[in-house]
Amino acid sequence: MEKISTTCPWCGCGCGLFLHVENNLITGVSPSRRHPVNHGTLCVKGWNCHEFVHHPDRLTTPLIKEGAAFRRATWEEALGKTAVRLSEIKQQYGPDAIGILGSAKCTNEDNFVLMKFARAVIGTNNIDHCARLCHSSTVGGLAAAFGSGAMTNSIDEIRDARVIFVIGSNTTEQHPMIGMHMLEAKDRGALLIVADPRRTQIARFSHLHMRHKSGTDVALLNAMMNVIITEGLVDVSFIRQRTENFDDFEKRVLTYTPEVAERITSVPADDIRKAARIYASEKRAMLFYSMGITQHVTGVDNVRSCANLVMLTAHIGQPMTGLNPLRGQNNVQGACDVGVLPDVFSGYQKVADPAARNKFELAWSRPLSGMPGLTLTEMIDAIHAGKIRALYVMGENPAISDPDSTHVKAALAKLEFLAVQDIFPTDTAEYAHVILPAATFAEKDGTYTNTERRVQKIRRAVPPEGESKPDYEIICSLSRLMGYDMDYRAAHEIMEEIAILTPSYGGILHHRLDTGFGLQWPCGGYDHPGTPYLHRKKFTRGLGAFIPVEFMPPSEPTDSEYPFILTTGRSYFHYHTGTMCRRTITLEREEPECTIEISPADAERLEIRHNDPVRVKTRRGQIEVKARVTGTVPEGIVFIPFHFREAAANLLTINAVDPNAKIPEFKVCAASLEAVRKKPGTRPAPRLSYHEGMKIGLDLYLPPEEGEE
Amino acid sequence: MHMTQTCILNKNHLSFWLRRLKTSHELIAPTRDVSGDIVLTELRQMHETALDGPALMPSPKEFLLPQMEQLFSYSGEGIEETFNKRPRVLFGIRSCDLSAIRILDTFYLGKQKDLYYEARRSRTVVIAIACNQPDPTCFCLGLGTGPFLKNGFDLQLTDLGDRFLVEAGSETGASLLKDSPHIFTEPMPADNDDLYEARLASQSRFEKRVNLEQVRKRIQAGVVQDSFWESVAARCFECGGCVYNCPVCTCFNVIDRASSSDTGNRYRLWDTCLFKGFTRMAGGVVPAEAKINRTKRWFHHKLLHWPAQFGTFGCVGCGRCAVSCPGKIDMATVAMRIKGEDQTEDK
Repeated sequence: MEKISTTCPWCGCGCGLFLHVENNLITGVSPSRRHPVNHGTLCVKGWNCHEFVHHPDRLTTPLIKEGAAFRRATWEEALGKTAVRLSEIKQQYGPDAIGILGSAKCTNEDNFVLMKFARAVIGTNNIDHCARLCHSSTVGGLAAAFGSGAMTNSIDEIRDARVIFVIGSNTTEQHPMIGMHMLEAKDRGALLIVADPRRTQIARFSHLHMRHKSGTDVALLNAMMNVIITEGLVDVSFIRQRTENFDDFEKRVLTYTPEVAERITSVPADDIRKAARIYASEKRAMLFYSMGITQHVTGVDNVRSCANLVMLTAHIGQPMTGLNPLRGQNNVQGACDVGVLPDVFSGYQKVADPAARNKFELAWSRPLSGMPGLTLTEMIDAIHAGKIRALYVMGENPAISDPDSTHVKAALAKLEFLAVQDIFPTDTAEYAHVILPAATFAEKDGTYTNTERRVQKIRRAVPPEGESKPDYEIICSLSRLMGYDMDYRAAHEIMEEIAILTPSYGGILHHRLDTGFGLQWPCGGYDHPGTPYLHRKKFTRGLGAFIPVEFMPPSEPTDSEYPFILTTGRSYFHYHTGTMCRRTITLEREEPECTIEISPADAERLEIRHNDPVRVKTRRGQIEVKARVTGTVPEGIVFIPFHFREAAANLLTINAVDPNAKIPEFKVCAASLEAVRKKPGTRPAPRLSYHEGMKIGLDLYLPPEEGEE
Repeated sequence: MHMTQTCILNKNHLSFWLRRLKTSHELIAPTRDVSGDIVLTELRQMHETALDGPALMPSPKEFLLPQMEQLFSYSGEGIEETFNKRPRVLFGIRSCDLSAIRILDTFYLGKQKDLYYEARRSRTVVIAIACNQPDPTCFCLGLGTGPFLKNGFDLQLTDLGDRFLVEAGSETGASLLKDSPHIFTEPMPADNDDLYEARLASQSRFEKRVNLEQVRKRIQAGVVQDSFWESVAARCFECGGCVYNCPVCTCFNVIDRASSSDTGNRYRLWDTCLFKGFTRMAGGVVPAEAKINRTKRWFHHKLLHWPAQFGTFGCVGCGRCAVSCPGKIDMATVAMRIKGEDQTEDK
């Protein structure tokens, strides 16, 4: 029996846990007792994170598409074909005809190597990853306001806060261990304010729940700031010394009285006043937000409003304060930090900046492009326009996670070459020409950066399944075949390079991460202890910038044909497109099929009962799901989680994006509902569960004549 | 040399003895990990064992009932069962955990013997350490499950400062002492004095005094309202931690994993009655859909059903649920609220 200390692969909490190993098989999981985030606890996904590692569906050999099916191939053949095709397309159409998608689930090391491959080997800045779909609003919004966009404070400060304001985050279900800290703060007397159209568990714990209409966050926040200004609750010295552009901002905010906001948001004006007074009056007030405000066409505006609020009240640059975006994936913060973004290298150094570019050109001995590339959402459109001909996808499943799946799948089908590197067969992989098997978090070394900027190690517990390899090894092999020598013999060597090229990671090396629980960046030097909270003496850009924001409604309003607001999101038991969690029996059993949350009033009006099948339609497509009649959603809003490939919520969502961040509006589109009525004497068609669906996929991957593994 | 039931082991000789044990058994002992946590795992370097830490997670139950265990593999030819037959020593586990193992024995080795459990249990030697320093979350005192036990162990060690008092409670334990007669010496009167003092001191260190019998009576008397259980269930994060960590919880799920159309393996995995899916029936009906039903059931099972069925509480006071519960609705916390319950509930 061995117990390997590592970090959870699911969400941005980054909990510490042990993998239990016997005979090279993982037999169990236990929480780290001393870890600062989870201290002895885990959520249900954490407790079950071992199960998918040895699942029989694991990709164990490279696969090459032949006709309609895939056949097994050697690494030599698969990588050879990939190198040849990418080179051909680069030769024929130019390097920018190739797009690269990194993975928020892979390590910093994997992602850095992929980023280097895209820029130094292919020669394009068309590299992005799923952060585009979740927190690109944060990166864009806070870059202008503060100069950097990450959670400003730390998780272990939460329990000592006096006010916690949560907007657009279902914390106890999506970041359970952070939700635990918030509950502890409340037990110690902190006041909890929640703004969310849905009555989530954290909303039920709150002292004040503002159920604003989807997409009206700017109006709500501006009104709160209006109250703070008119009632004299601002921190005048902070504004004078540490910010700029207050006057323009103040003029705009003064037009948003609580009464104006009440009309827009449907939150009572008095509640807005109460929330504003509570938040502004306490020194130790922390603001948390997540997808609820970022996934809108006004995502960047929403984030900027939060930044305005935090600066107005000086709740920043101190412990137990701050603007705290809760990053979703286990390493989405890290993937952004190491530059898997079209406009920056690692450390958010701009590709368009000659000095930054020169630094990387020197390090990599290759000329680099200074033109920012396409984002993930733009790449799909570019494929349709014929501008992008090839895609290399590492650990992502855009066929299910991107908005308007029909549009995405049509694009994938159009590609001249698609390579997918993953641990399980996915819907995206079905369109691939080459599939490369990768190793999971339990089978490789590396680091993840959690939402509080804590860089932590993951440690190899078992050998990679079959012929799968760590992602960075695969990319290095490919790079060598394409004429660029990349050879890292271990993950810590990659970290050394990251540390050299990335100021905020300058002092982060694997041996420093061996004891204790990681280091929080910025960590510039070899003995720098890491940084629990940011912007202490000044903002990253110097002065904080107030940015006046005007309310704009969502892109697709409801109308008589599509009268419901459809909002999509996550559930507690599952994780994103389900490739890992739906192969974990406890999680899959808890939520085996897609359901839609409908308010009791709407259900009664449409004559839909709990568990009835319901057809949901939008202008993009339709799916059939089971009704869950609950008071969690208000009247007029319905909620569908996006985990179920057989009833994919993203077939319905709209491809409208924020003009700055290019993040899709997953949280609002217009939908219609109707009950599916069976004819008497008939049974509804059995719904294809994930496993049924995947079995079909699995047979595709076994050559017809061969026996078993 | 005549067999003694009690003897002394100088702490300097502990490594020697552990190394002896390791030659014939898989030696599982509390070990300090690079991160600073102490975990129960195979001891590689004898001096690395750390006996001064808090209750380890998860409980030693995982060595008798693993979190994920292959039961058999199947193919066209038939079934091949997988029994774990490695002789094992569980060293340095606490009295509460030992009491829990005894409870698990009544469950898995009763009329209906669980062969996989038996294969492991019959080859496991349990060397417990009595608790001189209970954790703030411990409440075994009063449940008869610790901090010191009179029987049920193969060997029980009590820390007396520079030496251990070693008590043999079984043939296996006694034979282990016989194997190394030169390091196990006769106790002196001073040792008994020190033992008595250590026991007294330990008992005085408990921060929680929880009387589960009183709690059981209150529930049975109907004093505890549903509104109380609602307030408890509202704080449940449905993580399963209380069950996964509990040394007495026994539930498991059984799944088959096919590697091809006619071969595969059958596994069993830890399960919990706290989840909705646990009671889901064909047709999708979930009798315990509302969270209050499941939360309440966990407490009722341990406080009412276990005593009725097995004559003992389904709880040994180890306090792990208090460490693992994000909502702080562990056994001790809820029990103390029930004890202080009138008809009103708080929060």
